[in-house]
Amino acid sequence: MKVIKLHISLLALLGVFLLSGCEATLAPAYDQAIVDKVNVNSDLAMRFFASVNEGTESENFSLREPVYNQLIGAFESLKLHAKARPVPDNAAIEKINALLRSKDSNPIAGDYPSAFAFEQIAVTFAHMKKTDREQGLNPILIEAFKGQVEVYLDQAITYESFLKR
Amino acid sequence: MGENVTAIITEIKNISSGILNKDLTTVRGFSERQLEAIAKQTALIQKGVASGDIDEDLREFFLDGLEAMTRNFINTLKGILIVTIEKLWNAIISFLYKAVGVVV
Repeated sequence: MKVIKLHISLLALLGVFLLSGCEATLAPAYDQAIVDKVNVNSDLAMRFFASVNEGTESENFSLREPVYNQLIGAFESLKLHAKARPVPDNAAIEKINALLRSKDSNPIAGDYPSAFAFEQIAVTFAHMKKTDREQGLNPILIEAFKGQVEVYLDQAITYESFLKR
Repeated sequence: MGENVTAIITEIKNISSGILNKDLTTVRGFSERQLEAIAKQTALIQKGVASGDIDEDLREFFLDGLEAMTRNFINTLKGILIVTIEKLWNAIISFLYKAVGVVV
């Protein structure tokens, strides 16, 4: 039933575009600088997780603090960078959202999924830093923080790469 | 006239299939990775809570995280779908305009 609904929606969306003009820009522009920066910082993040995978003690937290700060700053900066691109101001997007609402579906977010993912990665590292400082980290906690970061990284990298069309 | 229409329809189908096949492969791979990772994360948090390695505060943090990452997984799929629709539209309209001798 859901699949049929989706197909009807897609056909209706194409209909909207047929009526709305010629060349369409519905998604933001691809930005190689964002992709490059994500790759560099995801590499840094994974190397950091590898370096602490056996657990940490709060006593030597100061040794890790600069890496936490670097990662939090990098992903906050990526969020700003991703959000700085203009969202296509397109009548078609408004029509899509009206259509999605009429089909009881959530509208397309004005925000970028990658920007949200970058923000959540920064939040995750900030929480990990706080926990590390206060009580140290056991291996399961590190694995859980890493799992959360990996899911968001995959979302951000997939979306940003997909914008190259 | 009939042959022209058939040729145009065939070409539009080819254009659409080319874009959809490529994009759906990406979407399928992404969805499988995400669902597996979210399932593993859920199991890990269950294990951590049961063993006491994840305390009450952190449990809330990770549960909120699971909800947010699942929501953003759906939003990422929507974002990808919009790009695919844009590619489909632009490829088809470009072909149609060329077919009638208009440069887009």
